[in-house]
Amino acid sequence: MKRYDLIIVGAGPSGLSAAVEAAKRGLKVVVFDENEKPGGQLFKQIHKFFGSKEHRAKVRGFVIGQQLLEEADKEGVEVVLNATVIGLYQDHEVVVKLGDEVVHFKGDAIVIATGAAENMVTFEGWTLPGVIGAGAAQTMMNLHGIKPGKKILMLGSGNVGLVVSFQLMQCGCDVVALVDAAPRVGGYGVHAAKVARTGVPFYLSHTIVKAEGETEVTGVTIAEVDDRFQFIPGTEKHFDVDTICLAVGLSPMSQLLKMAGAKMEDNPRKGGQVPVCDEYGRTSLPGVFVAGDVSGIEEASSAMIEGRMAGIVAAEYLGYMEETDLDHQLKELDDALDGLRQGMFAPKNRGKAIETTEEGIEISKNLLKHGFVSDEEIERFPGVTHRVGVHPVMECTQNIPCNPCQDACKKGCISIGSNITSLPIVVEGSECINCGMCVASCSGQAIFLVDEDLGDGFASVTLPYEFLPLPEIGTKGKGLGRDGKVVCEAEVIQVRDVKAFDKTSLLTIKVPKEYAMKARFFQAV
Amino acid sequence: MKTKAEVIIVGGGIIGCAVAYYLAKQGLKDVIVLEGSDHIGNGGSSRNGGGVRQSGRDVRELPLVMYGIKNLWPTLSEELEVDCEYHQDGNLRLGKTEKHREILTGLANSAMGAGLDVRMIDGDEVRQINPYLSDEVICASWCPTDGHANPLTTTLGYYKMARRMGVTFISGEEVLELRVMRGKIRQVITKNTVYEGENVLVAAGLDSRDILTSVGIDIPMTNSLLECLVTEAQPHMFDQMLGTAEADFYGHQTKHGSFVFGGSSGLERYNKDNGMVSNSSKTAPCICRGIMKYFPDLKDAKIVRTWAGWMDASCDGVPALGKVDEIPGLFVACAFNGHGFGIAPAVGEQLAKLIITGTTDISLHDLRYDRYKAKI
Amino acid sequence: MNTINDRTRDIGPFVPADDDDMLICRCEEITKGEIRKAVHDGMWTLTEIRRYLRTGMGLCQGQTCSKLVKSIVARELGISPAELEPATSRVPMRPIEMQVFANEAKEDE
Repeated sequence: MKRYDLIIVGAGPSGLSAAVEAAKRGLKVVVFDENEKPGGQLFKQIHKFFGSKEHRAKVRGFVIGQQLLEEADKEGVEVVLNATVIGLYQDHEVVVKLGDEVVHFKGDAIVIATGAAENMVTFEGWTLPGVIGAGAAQTMMNLHGIKPGKKILMLGSGNVGLVVSFQLMQCGCDVVALVDAAPRVGGYGVHAAKVARTGVPFYLSHTIVKAEGETEVTGVTIAEVDDRFQFIPGTEKHFDVDTICLAVGLSPMSQLLKMAGAKMEDNPRKGGQVPVCDEYGRTSLPGVFVAGDVSGIEEASSAMIEGRMAGIVAAEYLGYMEETDLDHQLKELDDALDGLRQGMFAPKNRGKAIETTEEGIEISKNLLKHGFVSDEEIERFPGVTHRVGVHPVMECTQNIPCNPCQDACKKGCISIGSNITSLPIVVEGSECINCGMCVASCSGQAIFLVDEDLGDGFASVTLPYEFLPLPEIGTKGKGLGRDGKVVCEAEVIQVRDVKAFDKTSLLTIKVPKEYAMKARFFQAV
Repeated sequence: MKTKAEVIIVGGGIIGCAVAYYLAKQGLKDVIVLEGSDHIGNGGSSRNGGGVRQSGRDVRELPLVMYGIKNLWPTLSEELEVDCEYHQDGNLRLGKTEKHREILTGLANSAMGAGLDVRMIDGDEVRQINPYLSDEVICASWCPTDGHANPLTTTLGYYKMARRMGVTFISGEEVLELRVMRGKIRQVITKNTVYEGENVLVAAGLDSRDILTSVGIDIPMTNSLLECLVTEAQPHMFDQMLGTAEADFYGHQTKHGSFVFGGSSGLERYNKDNGMVSNSSKTAPCICRGIMKYFPDLKDAKIVRTWAGWMDASCDGVPALGKVDEIPGLFVACAFNGHGFGIAPAVGEQLAKLIITGTTDISLHDLRYDRYKAKI
Repeated sequence: MNTINDRTRDIGPFVPADDDDMLICRCEEITKGEIRKAVHDGMWTLTEIRRYLRTGMGLCQGQTCSKLVKSIVARELGISPAELEPATSRVPMRPIEMQVFANEAKEDE
């Protein structure tokens, strides 16, 4: 039977990362993936990633996918696509459907990196065509170039719901509302804020009563829920929509491990049925390792680190490296993973209601309830200062593991410090040259360049803009507030779109002076 | 938790559930059924091809299964208030070679001798009954009163009704040993509990051997892996139960539309498992090849699932059934050799009668527990 | 696992609900009410529910409904969903045509 040192199932972020690390250490590695394109979810991620340099922060997901593939190729990893693993049998036997035949393989070690599948939630009409998973919507848009719908309601305010809502708008869809049964926005505040400022209303403590329509979705009714998630009569709201997107969590696709006899556990904190494993992905089956969402739902950045860990422990398991080298090689990754698992959204803080930032600043209640920081609240955060001339305004109000902004500014205007989750601050006495790199590098699109006094009673606001078509200089329109409501007249006075911005265009708008700290989005009329 | 009963049944498979049901139906409700796994009907009861047939069986068990098909199966769905999906549309046992014809004729002749309506038919007549069969088929034995049913709903149907009538079922209670006290069977001991019964029936499939060993009774059995596969739903094609002379595959189309096919790889006695009763990687492809030789039309049907089960194979191919004379109060029902499903209602009803009255309508003499003898 | 489960425990009567006709398992068209009734018929594990009703036995093999079924059964039994073992996963991970499954690649002898 054809035998490899290491067989990896799944060519997503964790599988490819495992492959690269194992191949670097001399293992003969094959990666099977059932899709026609490698990269797993990465190729659907058109947004810039969070983290620091070592986590490939500010790089867009699909680019990370390309980078990983190139590395795998360079290391001699065999990536086999359209290869459906149909079973993990006894004795490390992997049976794969390849074209019109099934092929049996043996791996001295096996890494299962099969990722996750979307959860569903039931309500009247949930089986109507037009009710789709947010991940499915993302696949349609970003892989197949198909617009999922015209008018869409999103259920779920976690990062998936927020990111996909933004992408739906980028794709030209009208997102009529973002709804979540929970009383607080679940995902990053910056993701919420960039959706809210375009005018999408957030309905927290609301959920879907029913999807309407006979043969397909024609509308949806939502209603407010009480703290026991029971509908409150009289709070129903109706929207005409043709599509309802569900972003209600993921479940690990751990079936292969289960059928192979790995010890499993039901762990709600990890998203469901997961193999029992140690911190480096060693399961109860000798030589079978796991990495990424299949071992517990997190996100792509941590999946990549977990993958690298699994690749390294597999190499050690097969004698390709000394046990003594293992510790320090893993230590570096431990630290990287630890860095990602810090801040308000760290796994250890899941379910906790956090009241203040690490700096002791009261967090924005409005952000959690409505998706945006109010004009009054924003002033208390350290990234928001007032100066003469152009200066950065960083509306970053939660402790998340991300720091590309401090590297982006060559003039040293922005500092986060050694603690990656700290809020960015404006460095005293530094000089802003209006280069725009900070605006483009912020994965959360939360940095603005503001000149509070252009003269003649006007101010300028430079904002990140990832929509097409780009407005031209001289375009007149409205300035929208953080809440997405029209606050003032606005005119585009500069449009910047250079390679270093990596497709985040910078729009500079001229607004009346008193709206310098209020206008945060531009809508052409 | 109830720990004492008139009857304790070890094994919550279809036999245990059926005996419990018929006991309760006849008024004996002081019964505890102990199931070792977490699920009722988790062994062979849920892991078989669903055949309800007489043809192809050893004459020693024929009277019992014929009794069941005549008296119990026709009304079982109504009785259990569940759709057992029972079809009595005949069984074709197919042959492709002269050697197959010889095997099938031998089986048919002995069954006819026992009073079963079964006869040999040629390839053309086979295709009149089932036009989807390939031209490779040259003969078959045909038993029009055979059929098939759904083992899952039937097993759970017996459980549901017995439970409803007051039988106590406890799952996750693996029986480790039995104890004789004052010359009678008395205790049933699990890891956690000691149960006590006036009567004890051991119907625990392959595990029956270890359990009975604790009171010095041995039923010579070995394990053999039975494997099946299921297709996605297909348009309705036929209602017969099918088998082959070579036993390379067997099965039927279910009410749902899916086909359930079992088959052998030749390695079933030597397979191992990982604690999950897992399939062998070699068997399902082999079954697929077997099926396509007979039903070329099914080549595009998608397989959605495979499963396996350990079969309790005895040295002579028929079950050990009835009263253990040397230990008053002890009864056995095991070693069904992979075809215990179709016979289960009859076994259940007759054993219940045996426990209550001490007699049966159908003689169980040829199936007694101490029939095993050396060859010379 | 094998935990003692006394099937005589009183879980109360089946109480019909407004959303009993809501589809839960889309592949096999099983409703919430059918699942709830099955629990009251004694089907107390997801494996039993699956065998009794066919939930999760369709083309998607429970990918969509298994969590939904789990929460319905748990609620009916008055236990935490984490106490219910999901049904076994079986080969093949994805549906596969019979002629492909039959066609095992030949090894170079």
